Formats: sequence, C-alpha cells, structure tokens
Amino acid sequence: MLSRIADSLFWLARYIGRAEDTARILDVTFYTLLEQIQQPHGVRWDPILSMAGEETLFRQLYTEPTAHNVFEFLAFNANNPSSIMQCFTKARENARTIRDRISREMWEDLNGLYFTLGRFDPQEETAAGPHRFCGRVIFGSHRFHGVSDATLPHDEGWEFLRVGWALERAEMTARLIDVQYRNLLALNSSGAIADNHQWMAVLKSVGAYEAYHRQYHSPIEPARVAEMLILNSQHPRSIRYCVTEMQAGLRAISNTAPGSYANEAERLTGKVLERLRYSRIDEILDDGLHAYLTGLIHMFNTIGEVIARTYFYYAAVA
Amino acid sequence: MCLSDRGLFSGYTAGPFYDEMFHSPGCARSHYARLFEKLGVMAPTQFEDRRKHADLSFLLQGITFTVYSDGRGTERLFPFDLIPRILPQSEWARIEAGLSQRVVALNLFLQDVYGKQLIIKDRKIPASLVYSCRHFRREMIGLEVPRGIYTHVCGIDLVRDSATGEFLVLEDNVRTPSGISYVLENRLVMTRTFPEAFQEHEVLPVNHYPAELSRILRTLSPRTEPDSQIVLLTPGIHNSAYFEHSFLAQQMGIELVEGRDLIVDGVVVYMKTIYGLKRVDVIYRRVDDDFLDPLCFRSDSMLGVPGLMGAYRAGNVALANTPGNGVADDKAIYAHVPTMIRYYLDQDPTLRTVDTYLCDRTDHLSHVLSNLPNLVVKSVGESGGYGMLMGPSAARAEIEAFREKILAEPRNYIAQPIVPLSVVPSYDSAAQCMAGRHVDLRPYCLYDGQKVTIVPGGLTRVALEPGSLVVNSSQGGGSKDTWILRGEC
Repeated sequence: MLSRIADSLFWLARYIGRAEDTARILDVTFYTLLEQIQQPHGVRWDPILSMAGEETLFRQLYTEPTAHNVFEFLAFNANNPSSIMQCFTKARENARTIRDRISREMWEDLNGLYFTLGRFDPQEETAAGPHRFCGRVIFGSHRFHGVSDATLPHDEGWEFLRVGWALERAEMTARLIDVQYRNLLALNSSGAIADNHQWMAVLKSVGAYEAYHRQYHSPIEPARVAEMLILNSQHPRSIRYCVTEMQAGLRAISNTAPGSYANEAERLTGKVLERLRYSRIDEILDDGLHAYLTGLIHMFNTIGEVIARTYFYYAAVA
Repeated sequence: MCLSDRGLFSGYTAGPFYDEMFHSPGCARSHYARLFEKLGVMAPTQFEDRRKHADLSFLLQGITFTVYSDGRGTERLFPFDLIPRILPQSEWARIEAGLSQRVVALNLFLQDVYGKQLIIKDRKIPASLVYSCRHFRREMIGLEVPRGIYTHVCGIDLVRDSATGEFLVLEDNVRTPSGISYVLENRLVMTRTFPEAFQEHEVLPVNHYPAELSRILRTLSPRTEPDSQIVLLTPGIHNSAYFEHSFLAQQMGIELVEGRDLIVDGVVVYMKTIYGLKRVDVIYRRVDDDFLDPLCFRSDSMLGVPGLMGAYRAGNVALANTPGNGVADDKAIYAHVPTMIRYYLDQDPTLRTVDTYLCDRTDHLSHVLSNLPNLVVKSVGESGGYGMLMGPSAARAEIEAFREKILAEPRNYIAQPIVPLSVVPSYDSAAQCMAGRHVDLRPYCLYDGQKVTIVPGGLTRVALEPGSLVVNSSQGGGSKDTWILRGEC
C-alpha cells in the first residue's frame, strides 16, 4: 500500500471521529446547560471550548461564549479547522484522493453525508438547537463505520482506519475527562453548586450512561466515571479499549506477534496499554488525574507522529 | 415506426439537420423504433422522475469534472441526457474498420518520425511541418519503445455530416484522451434508470474496457515476473479528469499514484509504500509530456518524477501512451493522415476527414482570411475546445482578433468548413420538451501492437445549448449513453 494512501486513510478516520466527538459533546452539553441558566456563559461553555482546543480562536471570532455562538463555531464555522463541517470537508477530500482504494459504498456514503450536512442551514440550526444536526453527524459517523466494516477488505488499509479511529477517540476521551474533572473540582472548592449533572453529561456524551449504571448500580461518582472511561476493558470509548484497538491494528500492519514490537509506535502503544491494564483508579487519582491525563494526551500525540514517521514520511532510499 | 400521438416528442423537429432518431417527423428509424414506442407513451412526469434519479446517482457517486474557466476550479456534474444515441451494428462495423486502420497508421507514423523518417524522405509529409509541431519531442528520436507501440489508447472524434449522412473524422487524440469512464458510468446509470429498455434491445456491452487496457499494460512490462507492478500516474485531485483516473485504477486493480509517490534510484522507478520502496514496471500516465520529468521536459513541473525518462530510456519502465505522440494529433498533421494510410498500409482511408486549410500555406491562408465568418479556426496543439473560433457565431471583434493571431503565427492555426453535425433528441429541462441537439462520437481504441480493440460505441457528447456545435464538457456539453445494437434492424 502506498504511504500516501495509508496516510489518507488514517486521517479520514481521524477527521470523522473528531466530527463525531465534537457533535456528541456539543449535543449533550447544550441540553445539560439549558438546566443551569443561573451560571454565567463563560462558566458553562469554556470547558467545551478548551476540549476542542480552540479557545483562542473562539475569542478572536466571537465576543461572548453564548450557546448560539459556541454551536455555530463548533458545527459550521469555516474558519475553525476543527468545526464539524470542516472535518467533513477534509474527510471527503481525503476520501476523494483515495476513492480507488476505498469501496464504492464507502465513498457514496460519505459523499452523500457531506451533501446532506451541507444542506443544513447554519442560521436555522443554531436557532433550533444542535440536536437535529448533531444527531445526523453521529448517526452518519456510525453508518460510515458500518459501511467500511462491511465493504472494505480487512487488509492493512482497514487497519490504518482502525488505528485512526482508536487514536482519535482515545485522545478525545482523555481531553473530556481532564477538562470536566478540573472544572468540577474548581467549582467544588469555590463552594459553587456541586451536582452530578455534568458527569451525567460526560457519560452521555460518550454513550456510556446506561453502561455505567449496569456496571456500578450506584449514583454517579466522579471517581467511578473516571474509572469507567479510562480503565474499562469493554466500553468502546474507554481509553484502555481504544489503546487495545490501536495495538491490534498496529500489530496487524507489521504482522508482529503478541509480546513483541516491530517499531517505536508499537513499543509506545504497548507501554501505555500495560499501564492501563495494571493501574487502579485510586492510584491514578492519588498521583493526580490531571498530570496523568496530560501525560496520556502527550503520548497519543507522540504515537501519531511516530506512526507518520514509520509509515508515511520515512526517508526514501532504495 | 410512426406514431400519430408522439407524447414526449410532440412538437419535436430536428430542423435542417440529420436526425439520428427520426427519418421524418413522428417516424423513427428502424433501430430507434422500439425505444420510440416505449418513450412515446411515457408521461412527462414519469420521464422527469427517471431523469432526477439518474442525476442524483451521478451526484452521489461524485462523477464530476473540474472547470477552470471561472478561476476557482469548481467541481461540476457532467450533464447526462437520457435519450441514448443508437447505431446499428452494420454501421458500427464500418466505423470500427475505419478507426482500426487509422490507429495502425498513426502508430506506424510515430514509429517512423521517431525512427527512419521514411515518410519525410519520400516527401509525402514536409519535414518542416513535423519539426514545427509543438508536441514533437526530439528526446524520443531513435528510442526503441516497448513492443513498438506508441498509441496504446486513442480517442478519435467522429461527427456525422448532415449534408451526406456520412461519418467523418474530426480529430485524433493520441496523447492522454479521457472520457472512457463516462462511457462506463453512463451505461451503468442507464441500465438502472431504464432497465426495461435493455430487456428489449440487444445492446453490445462496454464494460470489458478496463480488463483489455490492463492486459495491454501488462504486456509492456520489462520484467517477466507475474507480479509486475502497473500504476496509473495522475496529476492529482485537482485535475479535471481525476474521477476517471481513480475510476480506471480501481477497475483495473492497480495503484493510483501521484508524482510524489514515485522516486527514481539507479535508473529504476520505485513507489513509496508502507513497507518501503517497491519497484514499478509499467506506468499508464495521465500526466502530459511537459510535466512527466522535470529533468527532461519542463523543469518547473511539480507533478512529475525526476529521472523518469532516464529509467524509460534504460528500458527499466514502460510508459503508456508513449511520450511524443502529440506530433500525430497535431491538427495540421491531421490533414495528412489519409496520406499516411495510403503510404504505410497501401489502402484507401475508410473514414473521410474534414477538408482542412493549413494557415502556413499561402494559398490556403488567403482563402481562410477572406472566409473567416464561414469557417471554424482551431489552434493546432490545443484540445478540449479551447483556442477555437466558430466563425458563424463569433462577434466581429472576435473574428478580427483571430485574424491578428493567425497572421502572427500561421503555423499555429488550421481552418475547416463548419460541419453541420447530426442531432439526437435531447431533453431540454428548461422548456420541458425534447429538442434536437448536436452530437459527436468519441470511440476509444486500444492497440496491443497486433490488433485494435474498440469497445462498441464510445462517448456521445452533446451540445446542450440550443444550436451550439461545441460538445466539449469544458464548454457546456453533456453526454449520452451510446448503444450499438446487435444484428440487423
């Protein structure tokens, strides 16, 4: 497989994953915050902006983080490179350059979704609230996964998609917990309201609300939410699950047996995974959750770079 | 086949032109009879539904091309008209024979001008004409090309002259002709849109094209290994024919590569894969000669592969089509193709060409300059309908501007009488009725050095603007499915 094509598949998955994650967080946060109108805008909306990593840009483009502005910025704004529409534009562009290597069904599904989303009117949607738009994005992302799974041969190209999806999710889950945790601890210490609505929102935004209750049969506790989203071995959005997926994908690409590694990307992934497997949540909290998550996010970035150096941009000498 | 109630076709008339479907109002030619029967009873709303379905299917598949004239390079749908262009097999057989003869002669001409140059020495074609072709490549002289093939893929444009009903060759495209993907996609969409029509007609299939092209490319490999690496080289996503490049690569199961995916090391071409460098044996290149190799041709090219021509010269990689082919489809050389056919094959040309005035001949030039409003003037090295003057529809200022250009550079222009192209009924969605629109036909010819294979039919391009004779997609043209019907009608 051409390096350029592998690169495009990897990023195709990442862009769609990013769009879906943004839609999930936007959707859930929006409706949770409707019930907390006594809080000033900034307190309510800053976390979601920092999660997207685009706070500075937002401040340049808007005066106030109102629900309307945040939605417009994260969903539609063409100047925001991580907005949902920009992610889909780039995903489609990537798919177009490799449409001979993806299945016809994948291309038609993504192309159709791109046109469907393009027909949403930003004015109308920002007035109506994000549920309709975000719902379409989330459903579209799921369908694209399904179509890819069912129509693309599960060869190395498929594995690059898989690694891209897993890496994007792992990083987004880490950001989500980090931001919410910091934020809620800050609220608690300042004596402001401490309720579990935002933790509920966190669980809902990764689709883990029902799973949490099945697992713990108890009210929502921040430590358990963190445990579920970091260490759970089965939930498809927990960091541990995503890293397991990354490892499986990377091993399939290089055809490496379990217990060994063929390159730096696999070594780092394996190292992260071992820590996730043998850590307990109280140890992580005792050592400091923020530092732990920051370390993970940094590691995910490094792994992304190392994958690129190993497979996409190596120095070519015959 | 005549119907008094003509339904969708009521009010339709082809005017003074040869009508491919009707021989007189309401009376279809025999090979169109069954289709007319079917469409004649179709309600306009039913037809409109089918049309929308077809359009949507093109949009979803992203079958688009890029136009540059608006400065932004916008993606646009290639308009598709539902009424097929139908030809009986008997008529097609003659066209096929004429095209095969022409392709073989063009290939012999290229072997000759880059080899012994006998046709020049025998004074059949002037040396000055050959050497002044913009696309003549000195770098190709004396180079032995794999299996002696230059014209692996040719798209030869034909038109039917309304005056005589005869098919004429309008131009040859032997560099990197495009459009075959539309032939295959049009057929696919048509079978989905009008399945019942295909049950009643025996339409000759076209979908063996990618397999045949792939077979020919494989025979060019310099290595005998069964796993020879064949790739399609594209300029990239911004090229107007990008859809076709990816379509063909996918259909043939070969890698679609850009210049940046390839490197040349030790006069061998490699592609960069996730498992390291992999040797490349055959390149079906859809990048123009100028941009192929910055070390050999244009040094500012970012699309090509430095050192590619060196590897080609060393025989380590095969290229299709062969560089330098542009000398054979130069519009001034076109006037001499009948001479080539007689010279190399000792045969009379089966297909006639359009009378052509060469502006660098003084006798022709004076005729051209005094008849500009009645002629079409073409720039010899251009394609795609660019650099053209349509005398009868041009404004006076435009004609005068062309006069200046011709006088400044006579070798760069040829002129031809306007051929009144035949028409096929086409749906005018603004007026919501059928109207006669001018068409041409571009069949695609594949040559393996032994025989010429032509998928039955080809691309029928249609000028959708009322009265327009320019069918190029870049100039607002669309296309139709082309049916060759088996057996006699």
